[in-house]
Amino acid sequence: MSLAIDLISAINQAIKNLFKRRITLRYPEVNLDIERGYSYDPKAQVGIAGYKGRHILHLEKCTGCSLCAIACQNIANCIAMVKLDVSYPQNKKSIFPQIDYGNCVFCGFCVDACPFYALFMTNDHELSSTDKKSLIMSPLQLSIPPVKKKGLVQLEIDDRGPYHK
Amino acid sequence: MAERTLTLSIGPQHPGAGHFRLIVVLDGDIVVDVKPDPGYVHRGAEKMAEYRTYIQNIPHLERPVIIDSSGILFPYVLASEELLDLPPPPRAQYIRIIMAELNRIISHLYWLGIYGVFVGHTTMFLWPVGDRELFIDLAQMIAGARVTFAFFVPGGVRNDIPDDFPDKAIKVCNYYEKRLKEYEKIFFYNPLVLKRTQGVGILKREDAIELGATGPNLRGSGVKSDVRKDEPYSSYDDIDFEIPVYKDGDCWSRCMVRLGELYQSMNIIKQAIKKMPSGPVKNAKRGVLKGIEGEAFARTESARGTMAYYIISDGKPYPYRLKLSVPSFRCLSLMKHLLVNQHVADIPAIYWGLDYWPVEADK
Repeated sequence: MSLAIDLISAINQAIKNLFKRRITLRYPEVNLDIERGYSYDPKAQVGIAGYKGRHILHLEKCTGCSLCAIACQNIANCIAMVKLDVSYPQNKKSIFPQIDYGNCVFCGFCVDACPFYALFMTNDHELSSTDKKSLIMSPLQLSIPPVKKKGLVQLEIDDRGPYHK
Repeated sequence: MAERTLTLSIGPQHPGAGHFRLIVVLDGDIVVDVKPDPGYVHRGAEKMAEYRTYIQNIPHLERPVIIDSSGILFPYVLASEELLDLPPPPRAQYIRIIMAELNRIISHLYWLGIYGVFVGHTTMFLWPVGDRELFIDLAQMIAGARVTFAFFVPGGVRNDIPDDFPDKAIKVCNYYEKRLKEYEKIFFYNPLVLKRTQGVGILKREDAIELGATGPNLRGSGVKSDVRKDEPYSSYDDIDFEIPVYKDGDCWSRCMVRLGELYQSMNIIKQAIKKMPSGPVKNAKRGVLKGIEGEAFARTESARGTMAYYIISDGKPYPYRLKLSVPSFRCLSLMKHLLVNQHVADIPAIYWGLDYWPVEADK
C-alpha cells in the first residue's frame, strides 16, 4: 500500500512541476546583470567584491613596475610587459602589461598586487575567439572599458520557483 | 574458473567525474574481482607546491577538486596561517564558513545530479543542476567566480561580502528547503529508486572504520564522526547544527546522509549570517610571505570527507614539503570491498554512491 502511495506522490510531484517557472536563462538574447568587477584597495589591503572577468588597465596610473607580472609567475604566466609608443609622466620606460587570456585563470592576484590602482577586473566575460592570437590583449585593448550589454535580467524567486526577470 | 570469467574495463573515459578505470572480472553478471586503476589525472600537486609561494599555491591547489574548491583550500590556509603567523579576524572566520558550506551544497547537488543519471532517473539530473545555479550565483556574489573561487588566503578572506548578500542568501535557502521536500518525494522515497539503492553495497560499521572511510560514507555506516564537531575549527563551535547519521550502510543511507547535509549546510549559512560580527576581514603583511621554520597540520571536513594538509617550512617563501591527504583516495579500498559479489547493473549505483572524485584522488 505504501509503495502505491509513494509512487503516486512521486508522479504527482512531477505533474505539479509542469506548472512551475523555468530557471533557464535564454543567454544570447538576455544577459545576467553583473554589477561590477573585482577591485582592490591597496591602502586597506583588502579586495572589493565583484565579478572576476576581463581586466581593465588605467594607462594614466600604471607605472610599469611589473608587480602584476611577478604575481602571475607560477600561476598562469600570462602577463608580459610590453613597450608602447605612448608617453605618460609616471611611466618612464613606457612598459605596460599585456595579458594572454588563453592562459589566464581569472584568480585576480595580479589585481591584489597592483599598488597604484591601475589594474582592476570588469564584468566582461565574453572573450571567446576563433584564433589564439586574438586572445592576447594588448595594453591599449585592456584600457577600453567593456560595452554595457542590453537585455539585463536578474534572478527572482517567488512561489512558482526561481526565474529571470 | 579462468575460462568462465570475463574481464571488463569500465573507463578510463570519464565514468562520472574524471578519468579512472575499474577492471572488473565477471562470472555471468556477478562481479568476482575488482581492481581500481587510478592515476590517469595525476599531476604531482604536492611537488608543484614546493616551487610556488604560499599565495601562488592557492589557485593551483584548488584545481584537483574544482567542484569543491573551497573545501580543498580550507585546511591549506589553516595550516599555512600557523606557519606565516597570520591569524584570521573573527569576521573572516564566519565568511569562510559561509563559503565552505555554499561549496558543500554545490558539490552535493552535482553529485545528486550525476547519481540520478546513474540510477536511471533523468529528472533528478535536471533539477539539482538547475537549482545548483542559485548557489553558484550566491558564491559568485562573494568570490567573483563560478567554480574556482581562489577566495581564502592566509590571514583571512580576500574581500568582504556585498551588502545585498545576506538577504539574498536567506531567500534562496528558504526557497530551497521547501524545494528539497519535492526532491524527497520524487527521488529519495521513490519506490523505484529504493529498489536500486536499498540493500545494495552494504558497508558495515566495523568495515567502514577498518577500511578508513571518511565523511558521508562513514556516517552512512552509523559512525558519528565529523571534523566540524570533533575538532571545531574556524568558529564552527559557535554554530548549532546536527550531523546526519544513518545506520544501514547501503547506498540509500549514503544518499540520505548527503540529503541531510544539504539541510544542515543551509542551516549553518543562515546562522553564520546572523552571528557574523563586524570588523576587518583580512590580516595582511606587505611583501612576500615567508614561513617560520617548523611544521603545521590542519584538517577540515570537505564535501567528500576529511581533508588534511601537513606543511613543513624551512623559513623560505615556499613550503619545503606539502602533504595532502584527500578523502577520495580512501574510496578506492572501499570500492574493492563493496563491488565484489554484486551485479554489474549495480556498479554505477555503488561507484557514484561513494562520491569518488578521481582527480582529487590522483592529485
